[in-house]
Amino acid sequence: MSAVGEVLRRTWAMTRKDVTVELRARERVNAMLFFAALVLFIFNFALGPDREKLREVAPGLLWLAFLFTGILGLGRSFQAERENDCFEELLLTPGDRESIYFGKLAGNVLFMVMAEALILPLFGILYNLDIWAQLPGLALVALLGTVGFSTIGTLLAAMTAHLRAREVMLPLLLFPLTVPVILGSVRATEAILSGSGLGEVGHWLKLLAGFDIIFLVVCPLAFEFVLEE
Amino acid sequence: MGSWGFIGLAYGVAAVAILTFFVLLRRRLRGAAEELAALERDGGRRTP
Amino acid sequence: MERVARIAPSIGAAAAVILAVGLYLGLVAAPPDAVMGELQRIMYLHVPSIVTAYLAFTVVFCASMLYLWKRDLRFDAVAVSSAEIGVVFTGITLATGSIWGKPTWGVWWTWDARLTLTAILFTIYVGYLMLRAFAEDPRAAARYGAVLAIIGFLDIPLNHFAVYWWRTLHQPSSLLRAGGPSVARAMLVPLLVNMLGLMLLYAYFLVRRVQLERVRHRILEGRLRRGRRG
Repeated sequence: MSAVGEVLRRTWAMTRKDVTVELRARERVNAMLFFAALVLFIFNFALGPDREKLREVAPGLLWLAFLFTGILGLGRSFQAERENDCFEELLLTPGDRESIYFGKLAGNVLFMVMAEALILPLFGILYNLDIWAQLPGLALVALLGTVGFSTIGTLLAAMTAHLRAREVMLPLLLFPLTVPVILGSVRATEAILSGSGLGEVGHWLKLLAGFDIIFLVVCPLAFEFVLEE
Repeated sequence: MGSWGFIGLAYGVAAVAILTFFVLLRRRLRGAAEELAALERDGGRRTP
Repeated sequence: MERVARIAPSIGAAAAVILAVGLYLGLVAAPPDAVMGELQRIMYLHVPSIVTAYLAFTVVFCASMLYLWKRDLRFDAVAVSSAEIGVVFTGITLATGSIWGKPTWGVWWTWDARLTLTAILFTIYVGYLMLRAFAEDPRAAARYGAVLAIIGFLDIPLNHFAVYWWRTLHQPSSLLRAGGPSVARAMLVPLLVNMLGLMLLYAYFLVRRVQLERVRHRILEGRLRRGRRG
């Protein structure tokens, strides 16, 4: 089997393991969904009934829901390994570390996208926004942003997994580093929802894509160093 | 507060930051040097 | 290391002298700005400060890569030391930027591109120092730190694009650029002198801080040896 085929096979094995474990216990996804719904409700109470104001900040609110939910999921992505002391076993698995990274990344993106797919319609209903007309554009932005957020997120999740105060360290480290993703995703979503020209959106999409490409290359390489020992 | 007040504030804050860092660094260096010296003196004896 | 440590006092003295000159130039000799008036003088501190911070973080990046490659803890010593000093200078940049902003815009803080980017930079490297503090052992701290430093450094240009696009697309009119695109020669000199002075100060602090880190390494080694013997 070719080298690339090997990497893909190992990556898929890792992803499949994570998804299977999760689907059985459903801890992670449940927590994420519940938290997202809570966030959407509370925003409404926090911001008051002014429809116009809500419409203005809607893209930001949507992404806050996505990101907080995403962080919750990322924080648990290495929890199984940490609790069961499986880190050593990960290291003993034959093959390169990159497959482990991509497998974990795929799992994280999958879970985050699943949550987003449920949050988005709920968001449309609660804040009375027509998301269906712009669904392809919104989906593209969501995917690009989720991938970008998860690239660094997966790396940092592995790093902070056995640290003291890890629940605090992960968001503290991740959010400043993912400002380009946050800004790009929110602005692009805003532009799409308000029907602005493709020019402004293309701008931000390029930033998101560039971010994704850079860290899809750098993070798996860096992952090697995180998993040592 | 006039312009010069703000200028003084800015330079003052910077000076305080730099001096504080400098003083703390010297203190840390002295502390570490003492600890190292104590360690080397006790070399060979068992830890209590 | 000992050779470098011996010239440290001279670096420090040079820094002090040049900064004294720069202080005079910036506060007395330089003319007030046509638009900003005397407040321009804060720029002679603010701009050199952020430039020195960027220098410091570039050194962190290079030292981190060298550490991951060579696994020589001396490189790691340089990385953590440079990061600490970089954080101090970034903090000074933030404070001076905010203090300049108050009489200029009436508020202590605005989310303009420059201040926002500096704030992000600050949090990234404070995070770096915290990560290192929370790691279990020095080698893990060095490794994790190096990875984070590299990611962080690559992130900086992306942050620049994102934040500048964000601000210019939404505030096309108020682009108060300190100093303007072409800096008058009378203002360039104090700027450059202070830049040199702060960089020398950085170099002095770096040598001393690396010294401290090396002593800490030896303490750890000593403790390990004692533990084994005892």
